[in-house]
Amino acid sequence: MRLMRSLRGQLAVGVSAILVVLWLGAVIASAYVVRREINESFDAALQETGERILPLAVVELIAAGDGIAAQRILPIQEQDEHITYDVRDASGKVLMFSHDADPKIFDQVKAEGFFTTASHRVYSRSAVSGQYTIQVAEPLTHRQTALRETVLAMLVPLGVLLPLSLVGVALWVQRGLRPLSHLSVALRLKGADDLTPLALTGLRSELIPIQQAANRLMARLKRALEAERSFAANAAHELRTPIAATLAQTQRLVAESPEGPLRQRAAMVEAELKRLARLAEKLMQLARAEGGAMLGTEHANLVPILQVVLGDFARSHPGRIVADVPRAPLLSRLDPDAFAVLARNLLENALVHGAQAPVSVALSPAGLFSVTNDCPAIPPEVLATLTMRFERAGARSSGSGLGLAIAAGIARGLGQPLTLRSPVTGNRGFQVALMLT
Amino acid sequence: MRILLIEDDPGLGNAVRDQIAAEGHVPDLAPSLAYARDLCATMSYDLILLDLGLPDGRGLDFLRALRAQGAVTPVMILTAHDRITERIEGLNAGADDYIVKPFDLAELSARIAAVGRRYAGNPNPMVTLGRLQIDLAAHAILGPEGQIDLSQREWVIFEALLQRPGQIISKSQIEDRLYSFDAEVESNTIEVYVSRLRKKLGKDVVQTIRGLGYRLGAP
Repeated sequence: MRLMRSLRGQLAVGVSAILVVLWLGAVIASAYVVRREINESFDAALQETGERILPLAVVELIAAGDGIAAQRILPIQEQDEHITYDVRDASGKVLMFSHDADPKIFDQVKAEGFFTTASHRVYSRSAVSGQYTIQVAEPLTHRQTALRETVLAMLVPLGVLLPLSLVGVALWVQRGLRPLSHLSVALRLKGADDLTPLALTGLRSELIPIQQAANRLMARLKRALEAERSFAANAAHELRTPIAATLAQTQRLVAESPEGPLRQRAAMVEAELKRLARLAEKLMQLARAEGGAMLGTEHANLVPILQVVLGDFARSHPGRIVADVPRAPLLSRLDPDAFAVLARNLLENALVHGAQAPVSVALSPAGLFSVTNDCPAIPPEVLATLTMRFERAGARSSGSGLGLAIAAGIARGLGQPLTLRSPVTGNRGFQVALMLT
Repeated sequence: MRILLIEDDPGLGNAVRDQIAAEGHVPDLAPSLAYARDLCATMSYDLILLDLGLPDGRGLDFLRALRAQGAVTPVMILTAHDRITERIEGLNAGADDYIVKPFDLAELSARIAAVGRRYAGNPNPMVTLGRLQIDLAAHAILGPEGQIDLSQREWVIFEALLQRPGQIISKSQIEDRLYSFDAEVESNTIEVYVSRLRKKLGKDVVQTIRGLGYRLGAP
């Protein structure tokens, strides 16, 4: 079944089946012709035998005169006799017969010429105005054996050549389908978010339309995703300035208001505005992360990006982060901006939900990025839900509940799993890890 | 510090300008690049706060042109562009800091102070001057007899002198730090504030260089 699901297997089996059917057809047609030719040849031999023996037998019988007993002609040496005969007079009396002749066969013959009984082919010929008649018989099995052996001789090579032809056809089909295999592998190796065009050269003319259609489809998808990302980015940009203005004006109101209810109310508005700003920011990041297209067209060094992000957190959370970043460049196809969003969200998550212990950030030379924070162990059933939107695992912290969902979206775009682990050591700790290369 | 704020959104621009003024700096608000260029042509700024998306051009082009002219004025970008690649592009174009909208005004003030300190050659906010312990970030001075409180304008003059130890600062330079374009300057204001500084911090804290200006002394 698996063989038949593949184009190569289907072609090999199909071509071989057609070959077998045609061969069998040819054998059947040949057998029909051969049987006719065998019959003609054997009939000619039967007739020739009868007509050769009859004059000799007549001369001998005349010489012997009337009243002689039937003569049984003995062979020169003992052998199986394929052709038997007898010679009779006009009254049907057997005058002469070959040593293996069976009278029952010849008793059935009534006319001159060829006659077929259930078991024999018989030729009958008379001479001296019907005074003497010779009947020559040959068993039908003799002809059938000849025909069977001839057909078998044609079928035996088929039995040998059929497996060879199957292998040959399979190899040829495999060779012929190699460009299709290359196209198939190139398409299979592309991640779900890899929308770069297929750059295969030397494709057969039948495959070029497929490559072109796939590239057109990916280009169209890329444009649509870029439009979506652009909208998300523009929306974020357009939202930020009015939120910033409102927040700044509110903060000035707080600063300029006298102590009392007005200042308290202004401070509450300020807090809500900050929450709104954070939520809008996270929603835009989530929209971008789930919009896919996280892969750049070229590899980018992510080390300086991580250093900038770590610099920001070192300023806002002095002493809270311990980083292990390689000096050598780490090249990845992950979009640098997406990586910055990923790193920020994981760090924010670790700082907000972790205990007061330092947060460890590591980027291995092989490309494994991990963020680890101290906290009580998280049960597996809770761990499994953490990448869902607005999931805070029951925490009462100030997080948006979107950080890990954003990180998971970016990981999906990269085509790598986001690994969540807890506990990390002993019965404490939470770690998020992602392979960037 | 005399600060040029280039921001086209009036709501945000006014709030930031008020915050800067409340911190004791002197802000000039330019809603366009053309206006900012005119201001830069007539005034020397200690810091420029630059929005990137302005009605008459890109802030980055303004920044590159500024650096191409050899200007070393610190520039802090205030922008709604949050991508890290845009931020790196801004820093590579010559910006000293980058803050993404919406931001907290207190954070902006802290960063302005940090940039000012870096350009003064001492990023450490804790400065010792004779017997005085000065916290530039908190605007606090600790003398032998305890905390010394300065008014906002006294602090601006003292900070200007602290940022250029050993250098003479002219009266007009101090006036630029104290007053925006639309403010009226009274003739003996600087002398009055310098006199108050000497009274609070010690008579040797500010030296008068006759005909040239003032210089930081050692109290």
